[in-house]
Amino acid sequence: MSTEPAVIIRLEDIDLVYRPGQQLSGEYWIESLPPDQLKAIEASVLWYTEGKGDEDLAIHEFWRRDIDDDFEIDPTQPERFSTTLPNSPLSYEGQIVKIRWCVRVRVFLHRGKEIVGEKHFHLDDIHPPRIPST
Amino acid sequence: MASVWETIFFAIILLLGCGGLVLLFGSFVVPEWRVNYEFIQHPCKVIDKRIVDRPSEDGPLYRPEIKIEYDVDGVIYSDWHYDIHKTYSSSRQSALAVLDQFSVFEKSKSNLYYCWYNPADPHEAVLVRGSRWWFWLVFTIPISFIVIGVGGLIYSFLHWGKSAERRSAMTRRVQENELFAVVGRGNRQYPSVPDGLNVTNSPGVRLRFRLPTTRSTGWAMFGAIAFCLVWNTCVSIALILAVYKIMEGKPDWLFILLILPFLAFGVIVIVHLVRKFHFATGVGPTFLEISDHPLKPGESYRIFLSQSGQLNMHSLRVSLVCEEQATYRQGTNTRTEIQEVYRQELYSNENFTIKRIQPFEAEFDLHAPDGIMHSFISAHNQINWKLIVDGSMEQCPDFHRAFTVIVRPISGEMPP
Repeated sequence: MSTEPAVIIRLEDIDLVYRPGQQLSGEYWIESLPPDQLKAIEASVLWYTEGKGDEDLAIHEFWRRDIDDDFEIDPTQPERFSTTLPNSPLSYEGQIVKIRWCVRVRVFLHRGKEIVGEKHFHLDDIHPPRIPST
Repeated sequence: MASVWETIFFAIILLLGCGGLVLLFGSFVVPEWRVNYEFIQHPCKVIDKRIVDRPSEDGPLYRPEIKIEYDVDGVIYSDWHYDIHKTYSSSRQSALAVLDQFSVFEKSKSNLYYCWYNPADPHEAVLVRGSRWWFWLVFTIPISFIVIGVGGLIYSFLHWGKSAERRSAMTRRVQENELFAVVGRGNRQYPSVPDGLNVTNSPGVRLRFRLPTTRSTGWAMFGAIAFCLVWNTCVSIALILAVYKIMEGKPDWLFILLILPFLAFGVIVIVHLVRKFHFATGVGPTFLEISDHPLKPGESYRIFLSQSGQLNMHSLRVSLVCEEQATYRQGTNTRTEIQEVYRQELYSNENFTIKRIQPFEAEFDLHAPDGIMHSFISAHNQINWKLIVDGSMEQCPDFHRAFTVIVRPISGEMPP
């Protein structure tokens, strides 16, 4: 019986609340993935909107590793990443607009298959996270 | 990600455009060019003339034909000719008009005309040259297909095999380069927060900045005037017709009965417009000035309010309001929903009179609460902060005037 590949993302801050300008560091790896199936890996730190409106998405940091460029990729070994978070937009839980931050890892396999893993965190200057009417 | 079907679709559109362009060139441009630049001018005799017709779905079509005779290197050629395209038209009169321009050869008159023949095949000849300007409009069809096809293929190529994140990263890189070129680093300090430059470009009289209103009533008034004019012009024409028939002694009572509701609506529109105009001119301008901008959570500001006009006010209120705005597609329509999520009353005054010679003025504090969300703007979602002035008056509809302010996050002040 074969296990499906899965993306594991681990952030260094356990409470997952970050302040603007703070360093976000962590690592990701892919479990149960034979190296010969891998084409590329993209890791992003991004925010996206949820709610009534169409989704907006913006990248803060983006890394891509192609198997053609780097034959040394072993997806089962943790890959570290680090970035300084921006001043805005802050995480937000509104009524019809919500802003979410996450680390997203997208793994491209042969035959057009993809695996996606996400780890959500809060970017905020107060704790607990803000709501519309404080 | 751009799909295979999208790429195939745009490739087919491009092929259709190219095919259409080649067909148009082959059928129309090349023959006309040959007639204009390769065919040889030569005198000819008109032997006979006729109108040829052929049936079509919209009735018969006609074309003029003239039998000419000409001599090339001792060989006599004789056949029916006119233009290179052998074009038919629905007007028999225009075909007859063409025939009238040519008279059959008579020896006594020696009436000869010029024809143009193909030196490679002298059987081929025409009696008219030149191109029709309207014909070039036909080219817009294949050219628009080519533009759409090429644009779609470029889009597909740029998005082929690229994730939403990678596309966003590419877009951001382009925007960063543009920002560097135009405004430098400053505007990237608070991503997705409006810069608010239009808020601080007008100095105040009492305080530092005079805030601009979010929308002018001018366009609404213009629309109302235009509608009133169009509606009442149509009704007036119908009314004149009805009166004319009455004066002729042949009144059309059904027609008059039909006009009456339209007339009544026209009167309502005029009354509404007069009230709107009276309201717009009666309620004078509202000015709001602020001691500093943009706002930061937890900080306090002074606000100066000035309201002109001749008004008996029930109440005048100024509030700090936060609205969420979401734009979404529903079928083929794009809808925008606005939800007020925060309101804090800053100033209120009741039962007082404003005189035309002396605008009402008030100064008060605005404290931006700790922990409020900052202003936010993206393609389909926004969080907007506004100062809203609500006025309630005797015998007049309420008025609301909104002034956008920007709230920035408190943290993240970076050195310039």
